Amino acid sequence: MLRLEEAPPDGPAHGQTRERGDANMRHGGHVPQPLARPVLGLANISLTFGGVAALRDVDLDVAQGEIRAVIGPNGAGKSSLLNVVSGQYRADRGEVRFGEHAFDEVPTSKLTAHGVARTFQNLALFKGLSVFDNVLMGLAHRVRIGFLRQIVGSPLARQIEAENRAAATEVIGFLHLDQVQDRIAGTLPYGVQKRVELARALVARPKLLLLDEPFAGVTLSEKQELSLHVRNARDSFGATIVLIEHDIGLVMGLSDRVAVLNYGRKIADGTPEEIRTDPAVIDAYLGVAHEDDTELAA
Amino acid sequence: MAALASTQSRRVSAETLGIGIAIVAAYGVVPLAGSDYLLDAVLTPFLALALAAVGLNVLTGYAGQVSLGSAAFLAVGAYAAYNLHLRIPGLPLLVDLVLAGSIAAAVGIVFGLPSLRLRGFYLAVSTLAAQFFVQWALTKFGWFSNDNASGVIDAPPLSIAGVSFTNPVERYVFSLTVVVVLSLVTLRLLRSQSGRNFVAVRDHEIAAKVIGVPILRTKLLAFGISSFLIGVAGVLWAFAYLRTVEPAGFNLDRSFQILFIIIIGGLASLRGSFVGAAFIVVFPLLLSRVGAALLGSVFDSGVLEMSQRILIGVLIIAFLIAEPRGLIALWDRTWARTWAAVWPAKHPTIPT
Repeated sequence: MLRLEEAPPDGPAHGQTRERGDANMRHGGHVPQPLARPVLGLANISLTFGGVAALRDVDLDVAQGEIRAVIGPNGAGKSSLLNVVSGQYRADRGEVRFGEHAFDEVPTSKLTAHGVARTFQNLALFKGLSVFDNVLMGLAHRVRIGFLRQIVGSPLARQIEAENRAAATEVIGFLHLDQVQDRIAGTLPYGVQKRVELARALVARPKLLLLDEPFAGVTLSEKQELSLHVRNARDSFGATIVLIEHDIGLVMGLSDRVAVLNYGRKIADGTPEEIRTDPAVIDAYLGVAHEDDTELAA
Repeated sequence: MAALASTQSRRVSAETLGIGIAIVAAYGVVPLAGSDYLLDAVLTPFLALALAAVGLNVLTGYAGQVSLGSAAFLAVGAYAAYNLHLRIPGLPLLVDLVLAGSIAAAVGIVFGLPSLRLRGFYLAVSTLAAQFFVQWALTKFGWFSNDNASGVIDAPPLSIAGVSFTNPVERYVFSLTVVVVLSLVTLRLLRSQSGRNFVAVRDHEIAAKVIGVPILRTKLLAFGISSFLIGVAGVLWAFAYLRTVEPAGFNLDRSFQILFIIIIGGLASLRGSFVGAAFIVVFPLLLSRVGAALLGSVFDSGVLEMSQRILIGVLIIAFLIAEPRGLIALWDRTWARTWAAVWPAKHPTIPT
């Protein structure tokens, strides 16, 4: 793990002290301008798996308070990109920046200290814990006291436990999970589990929330509800959101800016309107009749 | 919200009530009603095995780290307590117990280090190293057994502040007190953030790491706590139950026995550890009675041994296929069904 700059151990991650960002950034269809110092910056990220290039010189900047989508066909490198950001993969080249901290390999265990939370493409809940305890787990990093004090229930231990429970209760209410909070997570329908995972990520009030295909495998009505929750996560919790998505239609209405990956390269980046009319994107997604194809067909 | 809070508090108080009844029954009814045989040959070994199973359940059931080295930690606890008592004159029994558990915990943490790289089957195999190494060391180095030729140790008499625990009832009460206190402490731990971290590491290690669970510390804590409990169980086994033990008594069969207790009783359930231990202790006794009644003299000790192994094996397979959560899940389901029949309760609905 080679870190270019040393991160402060506690970091500016905790929700209460964090600025909520400029109000007009978080409302309406307004497109935030990238700041000098993006919340997340990727520079020249390249990643290969045994000679197969998953990512090639990908740049990405994510501004404070925006919903930033990364789309692309299957195998375009979207999830690899997210895994580089959260440190599951180490990029062969390039740099990941959270605010002013730059890494060539992101330390996964320090993500929360940088205010970063993520969800997973296939559910990654703790199946044996209740919904409430799953959400509470999102604050595990705040419990920095020894197990003996937790057993005895020292004043500090109780105080932290009470604060965390209050925070979990709030997020559970926010995502309408009250009715199922005592249920074991593994027994719930897929769509509800996706919401639990969102709650677990949100409870720490992350500055940056990475969502890996949050709408995959859920029904249409659940998709609409989830996308509402994603928008609320930004508007009410002040999280900057990076969203990986396969379904191009859904993200267009939700995102402020969209980057498009194809075969590991970024082929377009801009507002949904720009992306919708970009010939390279249309080519990647729909395919176009090239002149030689038409000749062959004729 | 108020309704939810009240169901939660109702469940908690029902649980507290259940634990209270079990403890009162264990202290009050059994010593009066039980014969010496029942206490000596059934209840005291049941308590020691139940505590060992609680220990293994913390590690395997909750934290998801499979171990085949439980008997080694029983042995470490027993031999550590023996040596501490022998070499530090006047050491109070309770201090001896805690120190022996701590030594077992330290050994457990060392043998838990491979868990940082290995998982599942491979980890199970690496814990066999503990099993074989400890048994070998206790036999090889005479110092551990005070130079007894075959490594046998004789337990010192149990006494705390002048009160001695010598007859079967007293030894039972001593064991029961240790088991009750440690089980309640373990329950507290499992309900704390550390306990939730165990399950998180078991269910999804990468997700746990992303949300800032200290993976290394959590796994080693599980190994430490587990080995502490098993080590103390070893002291009970050697000092309160058998009173004369040798390293061969802590062999791989014993490790498997404890693993079977938590599989049959219920993984990730403290109650399951007790139910499973009761089953493992009572089952051979029942089997010998039933066998003798049905087959008469044909059913000798050899046949008993063999049929016991076969039946336990069949049960393990049956439970792993049909009910991986063990006897306790069967019990809970039956209980819930009866309860629902008597008093139909509203089930929480899932909002869409």
